Amino acid sequence: MIDLKDIVGQIDQLEPVPPIATQIMTLAQDPDSSLTQIADLILSDPALTANLLKTCNSAYFGLNRKVDSVRDAIAFVGLDHIVQLVMLSSVSQNFKKGTRGYGLGEGELWRHAVSSAHVAKILAGKFGLSQNKHLIYTAALLKDIGKLILGRFVAFTLEEINILVSSKGFSFNDAEKQIIGMNHEELGALVGQKWCFSDKLVYIIRHHHLSTESAREDLETSLVYLADIICMMMGVCTGADGLSYRFYSDVLKRLELSEKDLQGVIAEMGENQQKIENLINLV
Amino acid sequence: MVQTRVNSNAIALMTAVNYSEMRISSNPVETLVAFSIGSGMGVAIHDPVCGVGGILNFMLPDSTRANGIDPAKVPFMFADTAIPAFLKALYEQEAQPDRLKVVIAGGAHVLDQTDAFNIGQKNLEALKANVEFYDLKIHHENSGGTKSRTLSLEIGSGSSSIKIFGEGEEKV
Repeated sequence: MIDLKDIVGQIDQLEPVPPIATQIMTLAQDPDSSLTQIADLILSDPALTANLLKTCNSAYFGLNRKVDSVRDAIAFVGLDHIVQLVMLSSVSQNFKKGTRGYGLGEGELWRHAVSSAHVAKILAGKFGLSQNKHLIYTAALLKDIGKLILGRFVAFTLEEINILVSSKGFSFNDAEKQIIGMNHEELGALVGQKWCFSDKLVYIIRHHHLSTESAREDLETSLVYLADIICMMMGVCTGADGLSYRFYSDVLKRLELSEKDLQGVIAEMGENQQKIENLINLV
Repeated sequence: MVQTRVNSNAIALMTAVNYSEMRISSNPVETLVAFSIGSGMGVAIHDPVCGVGGILNFMLPDSTRANGIDPAKVPFMFADTAIPAFLKALYEQEAQPDRLKVVIAGGAHVLDQTDAFNIGQKNLEALKANVEFYDLKIHHENSGGTKSRTLSLEIGSGSSSIKIFGEGEEKV
């Protein structure tokens, strides 16, 4: 068994998500906050402001005038986009690296993360969760952050993990736990704690494969799980773990989602493919 | 100094076929590749006589269950609209049904994904029903399971390959 301290010790090698990103997310979800408050918070970070204005003026948004203030950016691009861009640019450096242990080349985990976040956004919209949409988007984006570290350990235990998956019916995350002593959900949650994410965000990262009954009853966690499953089914940069995670039809029943609805989300996602590709190249 | 072009065809070309896409080629140095096929299906078809081949990478079995997505805009997303269009495009390039080599890969599922929700299985069934309807034969199939696959087709030789991560490569 690998010494878990060795694994946890590597969290420091990641580029931390700046606290301002999660503050912006929290503020955006607070019905009592104002746009001015959010704009001021963004302005307190010059690098973030510059980056945001550059992105808002890119061809992606196709605005017919130049945006030169954060307030204009919020007005023209929309607060939802701004919050998403802040989250995307805060985590992209980490995710763009490859994770060889999972068989993912440079940029592949990033593509999976952005795609999952996009599906999660579609699902949050279907369930009218406007209050928590940024949380769900961010959780879907960050859920696999543990893979960035665990990949190095998966690399030299993959054969043993695969034996449990292919002949003992283990899911990939259960096999990680069994062989390495920790899975990417647990490690991701530790990263989240270290970076002072909200308890709920840490909870979703910790349970995004819904291994426990209480997680399966949690709406936000279920939607992030479902977004992940849909991306796996679509084959969006699936690596060594492939589709080896558990499917819970009772979760879909509880959400009153039929097989037709599932196909509908996949179709919608397929139609948005170019948009997602552009977003991936933008940040 | 003038560079002499010994053989302009000597440059190998690799073209990706994304999901909900189809690519057809008669360029003998081109290889078509559909990366990371999950529950969707990759279909590689090649006519060795006229040297035309293509890959279709569709995602869903049935365009009537697409919840408001217009199949006319994304015809290669669904088995029922993609397969006829794929064959039509091949026949327009002089390919003939009785000469076609058909290789299919995909239709994976998530663990415990039962009957109704097993879209991979439904994709496979829809594909097979279409193949039968158009009087074609499947030469090789690699489907199901919980791993994603990469399917490629060399237009020049007509040989296909199916790769599964950690399980090596199958050449047909």
